[in-house]
Amino acid sequence: MDDYLPLVVMFVLAVGFVLLSIASSKLLAPSRPTSAKDAPYESGIVPTRDNPERFPVTFYLVAMIFIVFDIEIIFLYPWAVIYRELGAFGLVEMLVFSVAVFVAFVYLISNGALDWGPLRRSRRLDGTLDGNRTSSSTIRRIPSRTQVEGEAAPPAAREEGASREAVAAGAAVGSTSEASTSTEVPV
Amino acid sequence: MGDPVFNGGLDLGVLGIVAVKALIGFTFVMVGVIFMIWFERKIIADMQSRVGPDRAGKWGLLQTLADGIKLIFKEDLSPDRSDRLVYRLAPYLSVAPAFLTFTIVPIGGVFRGDDDGTLRVLGNDTFLQVADPPVGVLFLLAMSAVAVYGIMLAGWSSGSKYPLLGSVRASASMVSYEAALGLSVVAVVLLSGSLSTHEIVSSQAGSVLDWNIVRTGFVPFVVFLIAATAELNRPPFDLVEAEQEIVGGFHTEYSSIRFGMFFLAEFMNTITMSAIMVTLFLGGPDGPAPIGPPLLWSFFWFTIKLLAFLFLFVWLRAALPRFRYDQLMDLGWKQLIPLSLGWLLLLGAIQIGRDEGWNVVVVVLVGFGIAVVAAGGLLGAIRVADRRRDAFAEPLPNESAELTDAGVR
Repeated sequence: MDDYLPLVVMFVLAVGFVLLSIASSKLLAPSRPTSAKDAPYESGIVPTRDNPERFPVTFYLVAMIFIVFDIEIIFLYPWAVIYRELGAFGLVEMLVFSVAVFVAFVYLISNGALDWGPLRRSRRLDGTLDGNRTSSSTIRRIPSRTQVEGEAAPPAAREEGASREAVAAGAAVGSTSEASTSTEVPV
Repeated sequence: MGDPVFNGGLDLGVLGIVAVKALIGFTFVMVGVIFMIWFERKIIADMQSRVGPDRAGKWGLLQTLADGIKLIFKEDLSPDRSDRLVYRLAPYLSVAPAFLTFTIVPIGGVFRGDDDGTLRVLGNDTFLQVADPPVGVLFLLAMSAVAVYGIMLAGWSSGSKYPLLGSVRASASMVSYEAALGLSVVAVVLLSGSLSTHEIVSSQAGSVLDWNIVRTGFVPFVVFLIAATAELNRPPFDLVEAEQEIVGGFHTEYSSIRFGMFFLAEFMNTITMSAIMVTLFLGGPDGPAPIGPPLLWSFFWFTIKLLAFLFLFVWLRAALPRFRYDQLMDLGWKQLIPLSLGWLLLLGAIQIGRDEGWNVVVVVLVGFGIAVVAAGGLLGAIRVADRRRDAFAEPLPNESAELTDAGVR
């Protein structure tokens, strides 16, 4: 049992460290609680509903399936330590045991016990697979800065000495008549 | 078996050695954590073309200390709906396993040649690890299971929605990967023939080819690495504290130094898990000692290997996006667990075949055949499950061909 003495010493040190930190914080930190500070955090919104008491059953299923595997692992450890003494007999026993657990595991998976994620609600739609819809036909290009300054910019904006951003914004939003000359026609 | 310091019974000298070793282990973890937080922030900053912390101390080395002192001076809030006792207990449950796991790691010692990793101090032989319980590996699994409680109870006792969601996610994902973790460690136990970490390190002494990473054929190491990352809730498996979805996860309601304790525990666990990987797969402090005392070299090799893993964890965080929840569960259950179980049985068959004089090629071929059948069964099961889901999902009441087409156009 002496081998476990250092673990006890370490445990005492760890708990002492946490205790000391929290105690010093209690002495040094201010304590001015208000009802707003004590309310559960809801990203700034006043909570209207209580915590859910029920969870999706899949979480419980995971815990139960884990127990099956945990037991298998517990049986594997003693075998791993003395498998040389047991020889072929031990190996066959372990194989039979693992196959039994694995078949149960496969049955669970085929029943959807480990399925997560949303159900596939939407099917692929035929209309989206049109050969004419390509990345160049569905995206409208905004003319680049040189094009705007050189040819496509409205003359009024240049005379007023507007900033380049204003020109670009105007070309993108308002002056479609001139801008559309250098863009591809949207479908 | 066990630390030879206890062979002559307990006396004052032995108790002194135990106390000093525990203090050294404690200091190692604390200094390591201060370094690790700084290291992670600095490396991440470099990878994102930032400077990172550089104000407190040289190169910002004291940043963690400054943060800790700041946290101590902050107001400690506890939500009025919380379960007070459990809420206060949770930080202890988080920190204690992190410290305790580190006790079984040999941080130095010469294992090559006639040496068996003992050091003579004040007339007593002792190992360079805080404790060497005969059930070392089981102790590791037990502590990683207790760490789940710290996170789960912290979220549950907060009496708030985001922490509750975080803790439910945490317990499900940690439990899932614990099975894969346990199965990959069995392969190490199989080849080293012992549960004690000191024996495991002794059995790997020699050259790189004697390390368990090679002898177990890499697969258990990779499984362990992935499962450990998930077990630590580090990116890309950090759904527990996915900031975009559930604010801070299980520690949303914690403030002041209580939050700091969870933060510390997380980084301590990173260091501890890296050290465990070094111990189980990379021969612990084993390595060549060209010149000078081999003991110093053993510390050097241990630190280098530890740093390599710490860097790897930081790198993963910088490089990979977060997993989706169903991807996380699928990877753990449908890939890692069957893979590590099959690999373990194959390793056992090869070892026993060597004892019994079976032909290795035949053993591997039979094992491969069984693996193909098992994989076929698994894939079939996944396909059946998918089909059932589709059949369940398809007939939506208001969904007809014209409607959906019109919706798109």
